[in-house]
Amino acid sequence: MSKSKVLIVIPAHNEETNIKKVIGACKQKCSDCDFLVVNDCSQDKTEEILDSENVAYISLPINLGIGGAIQAGYRYAKKNNYDIAIQVDGDNQHDVSYIEDMIRTIEEENVDIVIGSRFIKREGFQSSATRRIGINFLSFLILLCTGKRVYDVTSGFRAVNRYFIEFYANSYPDDYPEPEAIVAAVMHKGIIKEIPVIMHERDGGKSSITFKRSVYYMVKVSLAIIICRISFGVRRGKHNAERT
Amino acid sequence: MPSALKITLYIGIFIYFILILSLLKKGALSLKYTLAWLFSGVVIFILVVFPEIIYWFSVLLGIHNGMNGLFVAVIGFMLMILLTITSIVSNQRNKIKILAHEVAFLEKRIRKLEEKEYVK
Repeated sequence: MSKSKVLIVIPAHNEETNIKKVIGACKQKCSDCDFLVVNDCSQDKTEEILDSENVAYISLPINLGIGGAIQAGYRYAKKNNYDIAIQVDGDNQHDVSYIEDMIRTIEEENVDIVIGSRFIKREGFQSSATRRIGINFLSFLILLCTGKRVYDVTSGFRAVNRYFIEFYANSYPDDYPEPEAIVAAVMHKGIIKEIPVIMHERDGGKSSITFKRSVYYMVKVSLAIIICRISFGVRRGKHNAERT
Repeated sequence: MPSALKITLYIGIFIYFILILSLLKKGALSLKYTLAWLFSGVVIFILVVFPEIIYWFSVLLGIHNGMNGLFVAVIGFMLMILLTITSIVSNQRNKIKILAHEVAFLEKRIRKLEEKEYVK
C-alpha cells in the first residue's frame, strides 16, 4: 500500500462494545499499518478485550480525556519514528477503508494534515441539525481567524505527517481538542486538506458531547480558537520557510 | 487609624506569619509558592505601621475612607495570588499528563518483556 511507516492511533474510553469491531476492521483493511489503542483509563472491560485481541495498546494510569489520549498516541509515534499517524475514534464511527486514501493524499500531495470530512459529499451519518449549526459556526470562526475553510472541524478522523506528529507530541489541546488543533496547525503553516468520508452513527457508548455540555463546549472551543489565534499575532510559524 | 483596629491587625498579621512559617517548617508549603504570600504579608504589615501611605493612596484613587484603600490593596494581592495558583495548577496538569504518558509507555514495554520471558 505505501512505503511510509504508518501508525493508527485509536483512543478508547469505555468502549467495550465497539473496540473489537474497530480493531477487527483495522486488522482487515489496514494490514500494512501498525496500530496502537490508547486506553484512557477505562472502567469497563476495554482493557481485557485489548489483552485478548493481541493488539498493541497502552493504558493510561489516569483519565486524561480525549486530548491527552491522542497526544499519547502522537508521542508514541514520535518516539518510534513513524512517518504518518492517523487518529481513528474508538467508537466505530469512522470507516477505516478511507485510511488508504488519507495516506496517499499525504504521500503524493504536499499536505500536512488530512481530515476525513462528513460534509463534503454529504453522505452517510450527518449528525443532528443542532450539532451541524454548532459545527458550521466553529468552521466559520476558524475561517475568520485563520482564513482557512475547514468544513468538518470536529472530525476526529485525521492523518498527520511527521512534522505535525512532532508538533502535536509536544503540544496538543486538552478537552474537545479537534477544532483547536486545526487552528494551531494552520498557525504553524500546516497545509490541511479535507477528503470526503462516510461516517456511521455510533452504536454503543456515549459521545463525549452530551446535550448539557454543549454550551460549555461551544464557549470553551470558541474561546480556545480565538486565544490560539491571538497568541500568534500577525507572524506565523516557520514550517513552510524551513521546508522550501 | 483607630488603635483598637491597629492592634487587631497586628495580631492578625502575626498569626498569619506564624501560620505560614509553621507550614513551611513542616514542609507542607514549598517556599517557591509561598513567596507571594510572604510578600503580600510584608506589604500589608508596612501599610499598618505607616497608615499614611494608605491615606495618600486612597486620596489618589478617589477613595474617601482610608480603610477601604486597605481593602482594595488586600483584594488586589488575593487576586494576584489566586492567579499565581491557577497558573501553577495549569503547569502541573501539563506535567502530570506527560508523566501519565511515560508511565503508559513503560507499562507497555514491561508487558512485552514479560511476554517474552513467558515464551522462554
